Amino acid sequence: MEPVEVVVRGLNVWINGRQILYNVELRALPGRITAVMGPSGSGKSTLLRTLNRLLDLIPGARAEGVVRIGPLDALKADPYHVRRLTGMVFQEPNPFPHMTIYDNVAIGPRLHRLAQSREELDDIVEWALRAAHLWDEVKHRLDEYPHQLSGGQRQRLSLARALALRPRVLLLDEPTANIDPASTEKIEQTISQYARENQATIILVTHSPVQARRLSHQLVLLQEGRIARRGPTAELLPNSETITAPELGRRLFYGLQDIT
Amino acid sequence: MPDTRRVKERLFLALVSLLALAAIAPLFHILATLAYKGMGAIIGAGLGFFTQAPAPPGSGESGGIGPALLGTLWLGLLSGILGVPLAVLTGVFIVEYRGTPLAGLARLSASSLVEVPTILIGMLVFLLLVKPMGHYSILAGAVAVSLVMLPYTVSYVERALSQLPHTYREAGYAMGMTRAQVAYRVAMAIAGRGVAAGVLVGVSKALSETAPLLFTLGSARGAYPTSLGSLLAPGDAVPLLIFQLAQTPYENWQELAWGAGLVLTLLVLLLFTLVKLLVREVRV
Ligand SMILES: Nc1ncnc2c1ncn2[C@@H]1O[C@H](COP(=O)(O)OP(=O)(O)OP(=O)(O)O)[C@@H](O)[C@H]1O
Ligand SMILES: [Mg+2]
Repeated sequence: MEPVEVVVRGLNVWINGRQILYNVELRALPGRITAVMGPSGSGKSTLLRTLNRLLDLIPGARAEGVVRIGPLDALKADPYHVRRLTGMVFQEPNPFPHMTIYDNVAIGPRLHRLAQSREELDDIVEWALRAAHLWDEVKHRLDEYPHQLSGGQRQRLSLARALALRPRVLLLDEPTANIDPASTEKIEQTISQYARENQATIILVTHSPVQARRLSHQLVLLQEGRIARRGPTAELLPNSETITAPELGRRLFYGLQDIT
Repeated sequence: MPDTRRVKERLFLALVSLLALAAIAPLFHILATLAYKGMGAIIGAGLGFFTQAPAPPGSGESGGIGPALLGTLWLGLLSGILGVPLAVLTGVFIVEYRGTPLAGLARLSASSLVEVPTILIGMLVFLLLVKPMGHYSILAGAVAVSLVMLPYTVSYVERALSQLPHTYREAGYAMGMTRAQVAYRVAMAIAGRGVAAGVLVGVSKALSETAPLLFTLGSARGAYPTSLGSLLAPGDAVPLLIFQLAQTPYENWQELAWGAGLVLTLLVLLLFTLVKLLVREVRV
């Protein structure tokens, strides 16, 4: 499958007449991880939802500008085509509670007829669960339900469900907020591997400067709906072992004040 | 001081318990009487109670409620075919298309339908269906009870679906599901219990309502509706039979009414139990 680049130009978003995003510019490349950071309410989730047209679900929401996802003009195209290219993982783990672990991963490939046989489907499910570093923990309990898993496992299941469709673009909205350290590490590994091995374009919203530094190539800082800073992560978040996480955060936002 | 407070508390507790008892007592009284008299009637008549037609008034025999029971089963089935899908789809439509004018209109009309006295719904169907056809029929009765069930089932389904956390819907859309797929595979499937409860409340209404049948069903106390053609002819139903026989001075008919009341109650109870067993609760 073709690698897909995400380009955002002059994006403005309103919800119920209130402007949420102002003139956002962004370019996310295949095989690369773009981290989006910013204070609560700065519009990070709204930005992700605009990219895959989940914004359509919010009554009174409107977007203007250009969003290109590979060949698609994402704000004008059929949202189902846009969503077919993109996968999303949300802040709270949300595997479908009425489906088994297996079915949660299999539902996407089934809907989009990606498997010709039961064996092929089994292979996809195993691949996705392995990719999400969950396979070893659930391989003997695929017919159990998500409520029987821990929070971190549920989030990895949500990730596997998204990966099973082999999205060219992966949108991650604070996927490790409130997740245990072991699961967080596995999720981070999954993200890096998926970007590298599939030339996928990844946009990761995170509140953790340390996570952004570990994973991302480029960093975008949103503040009150505007892009306040943007650049290579290595420049914005110097990789010094001596800097603590709170200090990193402080540096970012001191930097912001210089600019705004 | 603390002592008077404790006395007050005790008094209050006693008062509340008494009131609660006063509220429950009539219900237990009705159920106990129903069970006692109803069982008596059914045992007295034997299995024929479920199959025979009522015996002539004042005769020593009691006969049974066969035709009415069959009529009620038809009403349940037909309302399941006519009313339930319409109500469920309306509920789904109201939730999944929330914010559109048509969904608002559907919601408004469904909730206003609750306010319409059921006897008026009977009259409406009388005007629209019975008069043009020229006679009463089981079909007209089924249309009337379907209209009565509609707002109840719609509001149950609507509530069940809108209580569903938004994040599951988003997950469905994000993976490229269509609206119909999200409604059917995600929302309805997770809220299955609530939707089933709505269907149940609706079908129980269809089985037990009397007023909408008064203008629509007609009277055919002795005829068994065994063919599809008989659905276009007048029929009988258990609640209607209870309503009419209980008012007569004939002891054998009053007994039939008690037995019929018990059968109706058990029928609804059976339905609830079945659905509880069949529809799994989804743990979120
Ligand atoms: N469905 C909605 N309806 C109305 N306003 C909304 C909606 N979603 C977001 N907003 C508004 O848009 C603004 C940005 O919200 P958004 O969720 O994008 O912020 P965020 O950066 O993701 O914050 P957080 O870090 O807390 O997740 C907020 O002011 C919020 O009130
Ligand atoms: Mg957010």
